Amino acid sequence: MPQLLTVRVQRPQGRLIRIWVPVLPVVLVLSPFLILAALVAAVACLVYRVRVMRAFGTGWRLFCALPGTRFDVHEGRTAVLVSIR
Amino acid sequence: MNEQRKDILDMLAEGKITPDEAERLIAALERDQPPMAASSEVRPKGKAKYLYLMVDSIDNGEPGRVNARVPLQLLRAGVQLAALIPPQALAQANAELSRSGVPFDLTQLKPEQLEALVEHLDEVTIEVDQPEAKVRVFCE
Repeated sequence: MPQLLTVRVQRPQGRLIRIWVPVLPVVLVLSPFLILAALVAAVACLVYRVRVMRAFGTGWRLFCALPGTRFDVHEGRTAVLVSIR
Repeated sequence: MNEQRKDILDMLAEGKITPDEAERLIAALERDQPPMAASSEVRPKGKAKYLYLMVDSIDNGEPGRVNARVPLQLLRAGVQLAALIPPQALAQANAELSRSGVPFDLTQLKPEQLEALVEHLDEVTIEVDQPEAKVRVFCE
């Protein structure tokens, strides 16, 4: 399961913005909305005749496979880094 | 076993070539093949964990670089999404593909086949060299 999301943005003016997002606390804070979203997703699965448990299982596997993902983009003096650990 | 060596042995078994000719062909094959240890491009053996995409380009005189690293585990989990696509959506996608001149039947695409594709990605290296851009896709 992902632990930390790191976002780093380097602006052309030289300003560097770094954001660290601890995933678990954010998930806990957003849990009421996530439960609501899960219910909406379950209804959507039923409407489109997709197996609900299989859909949730696949979603969870995708979420758990995120650690190690890293995108690093440099364009001139602008740079963006997104890393999931 | 090497594919070319197997072909030579098959030809020998079918009687298309004599044992002497087979021996000469295999010897020539071994001469043509560079020793594995001498190659600097040889990657360490083992299960690849990540798919890397590296792009170096020059746009309007400014250098640009994209480095992306995606866990193969994420791709494996992603291909399982294919099993969740409703049949009516696949039919619509097929119709759009044929309309665009790509007669591809997505219903024939099985998650097992996609998983096998991901499994063999670690042997893939794609390199594109252009004057203004260099693209490299590989697994490690």
